[in-house]
Amino acid sequence: MTGITEAPPVTRTLVPPRPLRRRLTDLAIVVGGVALLGYAWHDTGASVSALISGIHNTLNLLARAVPPDLSVLGDSIRASILTFNTALLGTAGALVFSILLTPLAARNTTPHRVVYELARLVIGITRAIPDFVFALIFLVAVGLGPYSIVLAIAAHTIGVLGKLFAEAVEDMDMGPVDALRAAGASRTQVFVHGVLPGIAATLTGLTLYRLDTNLRSALYLGALGGGGLGFLLYNSLQLFQYKQATTELAVLLVMLLAVERVSLLVRQRIL
Amino acid sequence: MLKGLDLDVWPGELTVVLGANGSGKSTLLRCSVRLLEPDSGSVVLCGHELVGARGRALRDARRNAAMIFQQVLLVHRRSAVENVAYGTLGELTLRRSVSRRLFPAEVAERAHASLARVGLADAAWKRADTLSGGQAQRVAIARALCQRARIVLADEPVASLDPRAAEDVLVLLGEIARVEGLAVMVVLHQPELAFKYADRVVGIISGEIVFDAPPTSLDEDRVASLYQQEQR
Repeated sequence: MTGITEAPPVTRTLVPPRPLRRRLTDLAIVVGGVALLGYAWHDTGASVSALISGIHNTLNLLARAVPPDLSVLGDSIRASILTFNTALLGTAGALVFSILLTPLAARNTTPHRVVYELARLVIGITRAIPDFVFALIFLVAVGLGPYSIVLAIAAHTIGVLGKLFAEAVEDMDMGPVDALRAAGASRTQVFVHGVLPGIAATLTGLTLYRLDTNLRSALYLGALGGGGLGFLLYNSLQLFQYKQATTELAVLLVMLLAVERVSLLVRQRIL
Repeated sequence: MLKGLDLDVWPGELTVVLGANGSGKSTLLRCSVRLLEPDSGSVVLCGHELVGARGRALRDARRNAAMIFQQVLLVHRRSAVENVAYGTLGELTLRRSVSRRLFPAEVAERAHASLARVGLADAAWKRADTLSGGQAQRVAIARALCQRARIVLADEPVASLDPRAAEDVLVLLGEIARVEGLAVMVVLHQPELAFKYADRVVGIISGEIVFDAPPTSLDEDRVASLYQQEQR
């Protein structure tokens, strides 16, 4: 029989003692972080006094922005539909290509290591280049108009969705996939009937989220010359037509809330 | 894991493989359809050599075997009958199988008949993730029937079932062996079920067969010896 174990000495801290070297490293990280923020503050010309004096200008602008000019309501609604269509087409195009890339870019479904690396390279490049840069390229290549923005959004979203879909496949339960493989199903059949149903809910959720994000992108990329509500809003502000801008902003808000609401309902139904 | 293991299974026979955890039972089953790659040796499935086979040849060979897993591996968001029809994917062209709506009517008929054969005709349209464990395992057996497999390999198919459902599944596996004339190999952890339902019991220790005999010629001590190594 073993004897009674002695009680351990009383410890009054909840974290283990840390060596001096580790504490100096932590201190250096904190000091470095603060220095970086200080540099950013200086580099951007950030100033509390400018912020306070800016409040006066903002109030002045708000006073000149009401009542809203409803004469532009019809144009604003038409422009908002164009902005939505731009985001929708860009997201749908990206969805098709990213689904095609997914089985190649997921470790557990790729046919070969080289194919995996190539698919990941495509995803990495399209994801790393911002949609703004793609828009500048396509505006030159295709010309001014919403189509160039559709292409820009699609190109960037292929990378974003491709990465997220591939990760969803890598995290999924491979059991049903093994069962189909064991029954003699081909790689494509396994992907269509085993993998896609397994990630359908995640895929839908991510695509709707991306549509929401792309709607905002379509708005600001429109100001570059792609048209739509972003272009109208930019012009109104440039020409000091603040009452028109208020109407356009109200339409924008309604559109964003409506899309968010519909996305939520679809997600709730599917998940 | 498997050392010099040599095993044949025959039509019309329910073979139960017993052994302690880590003895190589599941490895044996997974190697049999090359879900695991054997380091050496040969796996012959209904006359087709699996080791070294690739692409279409491997898929054609695999069609002869249906695998039933410990965790029921159905596609959750699909109905029971669709999961059963997936057993035929190996025989369908991509054009006829790229969508469920393109599956031939003959496949749908066969899937419904297979479900009826396991007593689940009423559950045909239920989503797989709403079925009970016993029902789901019977859908997996129906998939094997629909596949027209000649060998059924079941890896602890009753591990997560209650005793009643477990017995139902083993009765069904026995029937498809004896009535449908399939070769059925089942890995089990319950010697008492092996004694009750098997035509032949194979004992494995550390990847080697230590006995291969009908249950009537085995005594309990011999079966118990399979698990002594694990206890030590």
